[in-house]
Order: sequence, then structure tokens, then C-alpha cells
Amino acid sequence: MPGRPFKREPKALLVHPDLKVLNDLQNELVQKGYECILARDLPTALLAMTQHYFDMGLIATQITEQGDGWSLSGVFRMVFPKSFVAVLGADTGIRTLQTAINNGINDVYEATSTPQEIVNAVVTQMTSFQALFDTSKASRRVH
Amino acid sequence: MARRPTLLIVDDEENVARTLQLIFEREGYRVSTANSSAQAIQTLSNGHSFDIVITDLNMEREDIGLEVARFAKRLKPAPIVVICTGFANLNNTRQALTMHVDYLATKPVDLDDLRGALSRLLTRRRDLKEGKR
Repeated sequence: MPGRPFKREPKALLVHPDLKVLNDLQNELVQKGYECILARDLPTALLAMTQHYFDMGLIATQITEQGDGWSLSGVFRMVFPKSFVAVLGADTGIRTLQTAINNGINDVYEATSTPQEIVNAVVTQMTSFQALFDTSKASRRVH
Repeated sequence: MARRPTLLIVDDEENVARTLQLIFEREGYRVSTANSSAQAIQTLSNGHSFDIVITDLNMEREDIGLEVARFAKRLKPAPIVVICTGFANLNNTRQALTMHVDYLATKPVDLDDLRGALSRLLTRRRDLKEGKR
């Protein structure tokens, strides 16, 4: 009997120093069918990245020190180039958005956004991001 | 011999487009130019394939470069898309982020930064294509 192709739940890495924020995000994502790995500090987040394949990363701009979440997001992008990564808790000025674009970060959410707003936005954005890697409908091109 | 990466430069100021063309040809790119968003979209529609598209934002009208970026991003495979503008604002920058533009450079452009970014993005793209990541 031919076997079914293995299909796993999409997996998200959530990194935030506040456990309540992590739990709220996790609850929202679980409802959308995601499996979540939570980390409250950099070493835990990095260890998780060595042990799981993540489809999504939601990372606070400040984990332990100001701005360290940006660096972790950059590492996430390098390790998982086809996965969606967003930073949480940043201001959303032009410079911040430009920094996000230039570091391959897919979205930026303000601290005032609710977990529900964040997760809804992420799920919508992920669809368009993943379409970029869908080459199954690649058209024939002339070089 | 490795294939030279192809680059489309879109800018309504011919001097800017021509200058960038000379710079990037010297860097080893095969460069084409378009002087309007309409010309760029026509070029992209006509089966010409580019590794990178660098587009200005304000040409026939304000933020029309976003249309070029959006069109390019829908191609399969999509080229690396760079927006180069002197008129970044919250609205157009947010739109660029949402459509997953790969790099946003503000004029006057720091050429070293831009060269480095293009090289890094091309390497990442090649690695992805070759299944190294």
C-alpha cells in the first residue's frame, strides 16, 4: 500500500522574556494548528533552533538586552531561509521597517498589538511569503 | 565559466540609470535599463528573466515603483527586488515590507552597502536553488 506523505504540524519558535506574552501567543497559534516551542532567553532559543525545523519565528526585539532580538531574527533568517520571521515590540517607524526589510525580516509588530492581532496578521502574511518559494507553477523563461 | 547575474535597473532619470548600469557592469553584472515602470513591466512580461530588479519609487507617479516590485515578486521564479528611493515614507516602506521586497536603499545610495547586499542576496538565492539550505 502506498504510504501517505508525512505531513507535520507547522512549528513556531516564540521568543519573549515575558511568560504571559508567550502563553498568549502560544494559545492563539495552537488554535491555528501550530506546534510552538517557547524560549525566554537567547541560549534556549539558539538551542531550539539547532533541534527543530521552524516554519515561523516570532521574536521580541528585546530578550535580555536592548536589540538582541534583531540579531536573533537575523540568525533565524540565515538558518531557516524559507521560514517566516517577525519581530515583536518594536516601534514601527521608517528606519525600523527599513532595517527589517534589509535583514530579511518579514514583519514588525508593535508592543500594543494583541496576540490575536499578531497571530492573525502572521498567518495571512505567511501565505504570501511561502508562495514566493512555490516553484511548482514556474513559467518558462527566456534568458 | 559562471553565468553573469542579470540586473534590470528602473529609473526615470536616465543619468541615474546609466550611472548604475556602468557601475554594475564593471562589477560583472549583465545590465538592462528601463526608464519608466511601464517599460519595466513590459520588459518583465516579455519573457526576459532577471536575477535582480532595482527600481526607483517615484516615476510616472508617486510610489509607482511599488507596482514594478509587486509585478516582479509575482514572477516564478521571482527575482531579487530592491527599491531605491529618496522618498521613503511610512506607507511605502510598510508596503515594501508586506510584499517581501528584499532590500530598501535610500538615496543617496551607499554603493558599498548596495553591492554587499546584492552579493549576499544572490549567494543566498543560489544556495537555496542548489538545495544547500
